[in-house]
Amino acid sequence: MSVTPGGFDTGTELGVIDDGTSILLTGDDESALREVFYRLVAAGDDEESVVLATNDRGRVVTRELDGVAAGAGDRACVLACEGRASGDRIAAVDDPGDLTTLGLELSALVADARQQADRLRVGVFLCSSLCAAADDTRSVYRFLNSNFLSHLRRNEAVGICAIDTSADIGANVDSVVSGMETSFGARIDIVESGPGGTTVAVSGLPSVDGEVELSL
Amino acid sequence: MNTRTVLCIDEEGAVADTAEALSADSTLDPITRTTVAEASEAITEEPVACVVTEYDLADGSGLDVVDTLRAERPQTPCVLYTDVRPGEVDTASFEELIVEYVSKDLPDATEQLAFVVEDLIDHSAQVGFLRPDNEESRLEALSAYDVDELPIEDSFDRLTDLIASHFDIEVAFVGLIEEDEEDFLACSGADWDSLTREDTICTHSMLQEDVMVVEDVQADSRFSENEQLRTLGIRSYAGANMTTPDGHVIGQVCALDNEPRTFSEPERADLQRFAETAMEILELRQSLLSARTETEVDV
Repeated sequence: MSVTPGGFDTGTELGVIDDGTSILLTGDDESALREVFYRLVAAGDDEESVVLATNDRGRVVTRELDGVAAGAGDRACVLACEGRASGDRIAAVDDPGDLTTLGLELSALVADARQQADRLRVGVFLCSSLCAAADDTRSVYRFLNSNFLSHLRRNEAVGICAIDTSADIGANVDSVVSGMETSFGARIDIVESGPGGTTVAVSGLPSVDGEVELSL
Repeated sequence: MNTRTVLCIDEEGAVADTAEALSADSTLDPITRTTVAEASEAITEEPVACVVTEYDLADGSGLDVVDTLRAERPQTPCVLYTDVRPGEVDTASFEELIVEYVSKDLPDATEQLAFVVEDLIDHSAQVGFLRPDNEESRLEALSAYDVDELPIEDSFDRLTDLIASHFDIEVAFVGLIEEDEEDFLACSGADWDSLTREDTICTHSMLQEDVMVVEDVQADSRFSENEQLRTLGIRSYAGANMTTPDGHVIGQVCALDNEPRTFSEPERADLQRFAETAMEILELRQSLLSARTETEVDV
């Protein structure tokens, strides 16, 4: 079960992220969230990505990854809640509220990805969509514990869980986020985004603390 | 050495292999069943540390077993250990059960199963609530208080009566949040002993810096499907943290009502002061007990 230590290079001002770090990524601008998310989850040469995409087709995900780093889409296993499955690398689920299937598929994809590489980046985009789709939020927490945070711990992987704070999740989103924040190792909150760049507030990462402007 | 019982369910002939895979870990004690009915009976009879089940069973599916497990022992972890691919699992009636999945087709399937089972048990990794990242030290801080030995019952009974009267609410309580449940030290307006942690609002409230208010439990998706809260008649909630001098949140002081209601900023500040008072009582009683114990040892 050993992996090569050394952290995960983000290729951004966020620097290198330690093995096993779980990151809660928040913001109310979905396009900025998307940009930061894919920058963090795209696999380097000796890595694999596993992405759960609640609102996108699998091909959209691999294109986004390729846009960050050439070939990153080929180093990804995708679980998409839109579109169809394709080959061994893209699985599909009809309903983001079917958290049982999402958990089974995500665990299977992580196991498949581990056959390809020891070093994994695992991402959920968007967890707020899971909260909105689930009947019982306890199921989302159980899913995060069992099928997301556990994989990061067991595989010393880096994980990114994105929440659109403008989404209607049927509960006070600020309260949900501040509760979730305590279970994650780091938090990246998008403060401002525009043509000039994206400013994020960071806590829990070794190389950055406080506000930093990302040149994405 | 403590052993952890793992309930293994598979067809006759295969279940022994599953048990053998787990027996390699001397801390795990596998017991076997071969049907949904037998497994459900075992789950109901006594708690186990983990459940490992095949999907295809003679009288149903592994998810039928998980369904019983979630109803009877919601915080017990479960692994679906099968050669059936996830896409072939029928989840139509089980969309929010959540289990771990290990494929029997993996080249190192038995090693993976033992590794995952041990990890799930060690980290209580399938509970329906989020834990603070300092949970281990928080539980250590909580265990430092000899609650059973402290003469706190009368003090807390008076305090919760006072809280209920002050806010004109149905129920007020002081609760300590243990690893798997919340224990109520005092409860005015109801006769509650303990609740499974994932059924409590306090396990959410303890993660907030400020007093957490849920004006209408039925309008909040975190709690609206929680049958336990409905059964207890909890419709509105306000909870304040009991924080130890070294910063660990070990419990909550709460004000509940059976109808939606708001809590003003001054009321929230009052509740926080009640929580600080409860913590002071606990702290002082513990100091007194420790001093007496030391004196007895010296004598």
